[in-house]
Amino acid sequence: MSDKQGNIFSTVEKYYKDYGLRAKELKKEGKKFIGYVCSFVPLEIISASGCIPFRVRGDIYEPITKGDTLLETIVCPYYRSVFDLSVKGKYDFLSGLVIPHGCDSMVRSFSTWSHSLPYSYFHFVNIPTVCVESSFEFFSAELNTFMKSLGKFSGKGITDDDLAGAIRIYNENRDKVRALYEFRKTDPPLISGTELTKVLIVGSSLPVGEANTLFDHVLAEIRQRGRSPVKKGPRIFIDGACLDNIELIKLVEEIGGNVVADTICNGARDYFPKTDMGKGPIDALAHRYLDKVNCPKTYRENKAGTFEGDIASRFGDIGAYAKEFKVSGAILYVYKYCDPFGFEVPARKAYYKSINVPLLSLEDVYSAGTIGQLRTRVQAFLEMIG
Amino acid sequence: MAEEQKDAKPKKRMTATKAAASIGPMVKEFITGTLKAKAEGEQKIAYTFIVCHHEEIFRAMDVVPVWTENFAGICGAKRDAERFLQRAESLGLSRSLCTYALCGIGFDQWREELGQMPPDAPWGGQARPDMMISSGQILCDPRSKWYQASQQFMPDVPIYNIDLPYPLFQRDQDHRDVWGYYHKYIVEQLRGLVAFLEEQTKKKMDYDRLRELVDLSDRTWNLIEETYDLRKAVPCPMGTGDAMNTMVPINFMMATQQAYDFFLNLKKELEEKITKGEGEVDNEKYRLMWGGGLPAWFALTDFNYFNSKGASFPVETTYRMVAPLNEMDLPETKDPIEHLAWRWLGYWTLWYDKAKKRPGSEPDVERLINRIEEYKIDGVVMHEAFSCRTWHVGLIWQLHQLAKIYKPIPVYMIGKDGKKEKVYRELPSLILESDIIDITSYSEVDTRNKIDAFIETLESNRLNKAA
Repeated sequence: MSDKQGNIFSTVEKYYKDYGLRAKELKKEGKKFIGYVCSFVPLEIISASGCIPFRVRGDIYEPITKGDTLLETIVCPYYRSVFDLSVKGKYDFLSGLVIPHGCDSMVRSFSTWSHSLPYSYFHFVNIPTVCVESSFEFFSAELNTFMKSLGKFSGKGITDDDLAGAIRIYNENRDKVRALYEFRKTDPPLISGTELTKVLIVGSSLPVGEANTLFDHVLAEIRQRGRSPVKKGPRIFIDGACLDNIELIKLVEEIGGNVVADTICNGARDYFPKTDMGKGPIDALAHRYLDKVNCPKTYRENKAGTFEGDIASRFGDIGAYAKEFKVSGAILYVYKYCDPFGFEVPARKAYYKSINVPLLSLEDVYSAGTIGQLRTRVQAFLEMIG
Repeated sequence: MAEEQKDAKPKKRMTATKAAASIGPMVKEFITGTLKAKAEGEQKIAYTFIVCHHEEIFRAMDVVPVWTENFAGICGAKRDAERFLQRAESLGLSRSLCTYALCGIGFDQWREELGQMPPDAPWGGQARPDMMISSGQILCDPRSKWYQASQQFMPDVPIYNIDLPYPLFQRDQDHRDVWGYYHKYIVEQLRGLVAFLEEQTKKKMDYDRLRELVDLSDRTWNLIEETYDLRKAVPCPMGTGDAMNTMVPINFMMATQQAYDFFLNLKKELEEKITKGEGEVDNEKYRLMWGGGLPAWFALTDFNYFNSKGASFPVETTYRMVAPLNEMDLPETKDPIEHLAWRWLGYWTLWYDKAKKRPGSEPDVERLINRIEEYKIDGVVMHEAFSCRTWHVGLIWQLHQLAKIYKPIPVYMIGKDGKKEKVYRELPSLILESDIIDITSYSEVDTRNKIDAFIETLESNRLNKAA
């Protein structure tokens, strides 16, 4: 990756459109890429093994065909699309795939993935559902198992120093993303939601060192900007699961909104939580991925004893971001058949009401076919709050 | 062609066994019993889920479990779930989510709003709980989300979420290498449940009683296995339709003498039927396996429709949530909690070793293969319930793997005398599609047309084999 500053967004565009291009180049140099599908996969362990993590994506413009001959259509459409592209050979440059217990569909389809794809390595990482002392201990043991398994595959025994080094570089990575989000605080933001989303999606397809360089170049480019690429408009927060394309965000910005913050997996959920360096590396990773990644799949005990206290605790990060990024409205974007998010919709709605942030709740099917409907609903929402 | 019949009220399914026929009143008695217990207020009521290996703990602590999936199933079977599903939707919950949960949440929200049971609540309704015991890990995301969602209108009802992992089958890993830390974690989770119940009931656990109940469950597990093994007989004395009734003592009444006695009686009844040569159907032509998926509770008469075509179901994978303990190779322990945790791990990893020995197999596939061979199965039927990912994702792939073994062409195999034999190992399969309780997803005509076509295929195979 050799693009100079100034051309950086053309590089981003190139890697966004031809997703996996850089991985294919590096594969020719003998590098091993390990695919992953969810925020729960500890990337530091993959990097410490000498392999390169690669977030596999779906494609809302690609009809799901071959995938449906092997995987049920009751699986969430995002995951079906990722599987469909995979069985059509889009990611055949991967050497392996790691699937965590992010949801039932991931667990139940692990056999389907591992028998349908040509990769040499597959591993399932069990993620506890609760955050208590015993679950952290269990998760540390599970991460050790993963580390040994991947180390055996890569031929490189992973040391604590390797892990500590990987943790450090991923923390730098997250710092840089946090710095990019800072540019969203101006009104209008200095970086559009569409631009930032592309940058982050591309970042998850590159070796972390190259992603850091890319982010540095983007940061430098934005710092030099005199004015915002978007007009001032309602400041929108996107809440939901994995949004691995720009379409919804682009749509909001085309209609006049400014997407300024999020909780999505390819955004704040993946990039904001850092790993504490004080603990042993595996324990530190266990805490980061189990506790700090705020996913509805993890059950959070209601310690307040009231509904209001419970939602304030579970969704407090949303309230904090809404305040920090001066949000004027939010879009809750959930996929059909997504149980972890789907069951939280009423509680999330109540939470937004409690913090006085207007909310548009959308259930979608991860298809270009619904963009027109989304446009109508988003437009009405922006008019309402604008 | 089958004709459309979608009555508002379900027709009663004909049972083959007296034992299965006794289940309806038993469930009704159980539901009314929970309401009575609630009214008397002497025992605590706990919402909870089946297949968590925690029944013994509840019963030892005199806590009354209310199986919320059971109540939703009853609403479905009585074709009275729609109003509760709609109420859940009005709260913002998508119909694509688990409809058991939607039905339960809709019902509970309505009851809380009224301060009394919703009008004409099925069998008197579902008692308000004193606590809710949810579960996470591997089995079912909605289980850890359902009660959390219900807390929106029952914030005073505390939740204990018990984590119950098991190592997923991975070819590069021996599950015994990792199950030590799995066991330790499950034990801690179960002890956490005991502590929670002690706090809620203000009583201490009686570990001698718990040990007795665990022993009773173990004996019941083995007895169920012996009983269900009798269904290997030709003709088959009891089918899956009946097993969807007899799942009640397996899943809702474990750790009770009543469940043990139920299976003693069922075993005796099946032995008598076998002696008399009585089958589930009068002229058994096809032996089918219910190979996956929860049933459409509102359409159990479809089993009778299969029966009317000469098809019997000697075996199913659904709700047969027990296995012979002597095949599990469980470490010895005198601690009942530790034993429960080992039994949990033993159950879920039962087919792992066998699956490893067969290329292309996996535990779920291996179980199907073993059942097909042991029960002399001619075809596999599955049901895809659109709202449940827990039990219904992976079924298509399992059939793909089976098709690699049971081919629609003659296969040459080495016979007992060492000579090549031409054998037909074709195994047709049928996937029915609807839901567990959402009747709007179901078409009786389409379903029965599919069954008719499937039966024609089975008949064609039967004639080919005979020729």
